[in-house]
Amino acid sequence: MAVETLAAPASAADIEKHASLWSDAWHRLLANRLAMVGLAVIVLLILVAIFGPWMTPYDFLSQDLNARNELPNAAHWLGTDELGRDVLARVIYGARTALIVSLIVTAIAVAIGVTLGAIAGYAGGPLDSAIMWLTDMTMSVPNLLLAVVINASLKPPLTAWMDRMYQATLNPIWRNSLIVDFVLVFGAMALVSWPAYCRLVRAQVLSVRSRNYVTAARALGLPTRVILMRYIVPNAIGPLIVAVSAGLGAAMVLESAFSFLGVGVNPPAPSWGNMISDGLRVWRTYPHLLAAPAAVLGIATIAFSFLGDGLNDALNPKGRK
Amino acid sequence: MSSMAKAPLLEVKDLAIEVSTRRGPAKVVEHLNFMVKPGEALGVVGESGCGKSITMLGMMGLLPPGARVVDGTATLEGRDLLKLSNRELRKVRGGQVGFVFQDPMTSFNPVMTIGDQLIEPLLYHRAMSKADAWKRAGELMRLVGIPGGEKRLSDYPHQLSGGMRQRVMIAMGLACDPSLLIADEPTTALDVTIQAQILDLVKDLRARLGMAVVWITHDLALVSGLVDRIIVLYAGRIVEEADVDDLYKRPSHPYTIGLLGSLPRLHGPEGRRLASIGGTPPEPGRRPKGCAFAPRCSMKIARCETEEPQLAPLPGSTRHRAACWVAGTVSVEAAA
Repeated sequence: MAVETLAAPASAADIEKHASLWSDAWHRLLANRLAMVGLAVIVLLILVAIFGPWMTPYDFLSQDLNARNELPNAAHWLGTDELGRDVLARVIYGARTALIVSLIVTAIAVAIGVTLGAIAGYAGGPLDSAIMWLTDMTMSVPNLLLAVVINASLKPPLTAWMDRMYQATLNPIWRNSLIVDFVLVFGAMALVSWPAYCRLVRAQVLSVRSRNYVTAARALGLPTRVILMRYIVPNAIGPLIVAVSAGLGAAMVLESAFSFLGVGVNPPAPSWGNMISDGLRVWRTYPHLLAAPAAVLGIATIAFSFLGDGLNDALNPKGRK
Repeated sequence: MSSMAKAPLLEVKDLAIEVSTRRGPAKVVEHLNFMVKPGEALGVVGESGCGKSITMLGMMGLLPPGARVVDGTATLEGRDLLKLSNRELRKVRGGQVGFVFQDPMTSFNPVMTIGDQLIEPLLYHRAMSKADAWKRAGELMRLVGIPGGEKRLSDYPHQLSGGMRQRVMIAMGLACDPSLLIADEPTTALDVTIQAQILDLVKDLRARLGMAVVWITHDLALVSGLVDRIIVLYAGRIVEEADVDDLYKRPSHPYTIGLLGSLPRLHGPEGRRLASIGGTPPEPGRRPKGCAFAPRCSMKIARCETEEPQLAPLPGSTRHRAACWVAGTVSVEAAA
C-alpha cells in the first residue's frame, strides 16, 4: 500500500513531462534500441542512395575487363563481377533503385488503400461489401503470378506505343525503356500491395467510429467533417504508420523478387534482385557476387521491420505492459 | 416551486425504439411518456438494458446502427426533435442540450488537448473566435472546480484523473448554456467519494445556472438528494413515476420495492443478507404476455400473467403512478 502511494506521484510526474501523444511516442521510440538501430540503418541507406554516386570512384556500368570476378580488395571493396564492374558501386546504385521503387510503390498502394478503406469503413453497407469483395479478389491471386501476368501482357503493347510516340515526335524520352520498366514494376507492385492497407484502414475506421469519444463529439453537435478529420483520422493513423514502415521493407523485397524472376527492373539498371539472380549462377566460385547484394537486402529489410516493430510499441503504449 | 407550473421543456410522447436482433426487429422501448419542466431534475432509474440510455440517444438522433425510433414525438421547447433535419438536430445537440457520458476514460479524444475539445462547441454553436472561446473555456474549468483552472486546458486527457475528466465533460456539456443537461450514468465509472463530489457539483451548477437535468442511473440511493422526480424503467416501459420523497416513502411497484430493498443499510440486524431480485429482465422481443416483471415478481397474481397493467395513479395521489395490478392494494393494506 505504502509502495503504491509512493509510486503514483512519480509516474504522474513522468507523464506530465511528455505533453503530446506524438512526443510521447517519440520518447518511447528513442528508448527502444533495436528500433533506433533500424532507424540508423535506414537513414544511412537513404544518404547512400542520395549521395552514393559521389562516394565511389566507379560507375555502375563501366567495365574493366582486366579485373573480372575479383575478390574484395583495396581497389574494389566488394570485388568486381564477371564484366569487371565494381560490386560496391552497383550495390549503392541498387539502393537507389530499391528506395525509389519501395517509396513510390508504397505511396501508390497507401493512397489507393487508404481511400478505399476509409470509404468502406465509413460508408458501410453495399459499398463496403463491394470494396471488400474487390480486396479479397485481389488478395486471392498470388502476388508474383499477378505481376508476371501484368508484365507479360502489358509490356509489348506499351513498348509498341512508346515506339509509335517516338516515331511521331522524335523525342528521345520515348526511347528510354527504363520508363516502361518502372511504370510496369510500380504498377504491378502497387496493384498487389494495396489490399493490405485497405483492410487495415477499414478496420481502423470501423473501430474508431464507434468509440465513445466519437459519440461524445456527435453529442456536442460537431459537423461530420470535423469529426472525421479531428476525431477519426488522427486516431486511426497509428497502425497505418507501422504498416507503412514494414511495407517499405516488404516492397524492397518484392522488387528484388521481381527482378530476380526477370519481371522487375531490367538490366543494365542495377537492382539487388538482379545482382542476386546473377550471383546465384556463380556463387560456388565467386560467393561475394551473391553475398554482397543479399546481405545488404537482408540488412535493409531487417532495419525496416525493427523500425516498424519499434513504432508499433511506441504508438501502442498499452500493448507493451 | 413556481417552475412546476410552467410549460414542459421536454415532452416525450409514446416513444418507441426498435433494434435489429438475430430474430428480427424487437422493441426495446415502447409507450414511453414523460416530461421535464424547465429547471426540473428528473431521475431515470432502471437496471442495465432497460432502455434508459437508448431513449436519450434516440431523442437526439445518436442511435447506434441497427437501432431506430419507430414511433412517438419528443418535443423540446416547442419543436419535435424526431422531425428535425440532421443540421437542425446538430444545433440542438451541444447547444440546447448538453450531454455527460458514463465513461470519462474513453469519452475524450486522446490526441487533442482538453482545451481544444472544450472550445469546439463554442466554435461551432456560438461562432466564437478561438481566443474568446479559450477564455470562456478557462471560466468553465473554474466553474466545474478544476484546480488550476485554465492552466489545465493544454493538458491531454490522459493527464487528468477520472473525476477531473468527468468535471471537464460536464463543462463541455454546459459550454453553450443548455436548457437541458442529460447525464447518462455520469458517476458509474468513478470512486464512491468522487461520485458524491460530481453529484454535489451538478446540484450546485443546477442551482446556479437553472438548467433542467435528466440523470440516468441504476443507483436509486445516489440520486435521492439531487432529483425532484423519478421514473423507474423496466424492460423499456415506465413502471413507476413519483416525486422523489413519495417514491422512497411509498414505493409501490414490486420492482421499485425490490430495487430499494437491495440497497445496503447501516441500521438493522447485523449479518443480514442483502436482498436481491431473482432472475433477469426479458430479452428484447421476448416480452411475456402480461406484465414484463411477472416472472420475477413475488407478489404476482393470476391476472399479472395474462393482462398488461397500464400506468395509473395510486389511490390518494395524482402525481404518484405505477403500472401494477397489485400496487394499489398492497400499499392500501400496508397503510391500514
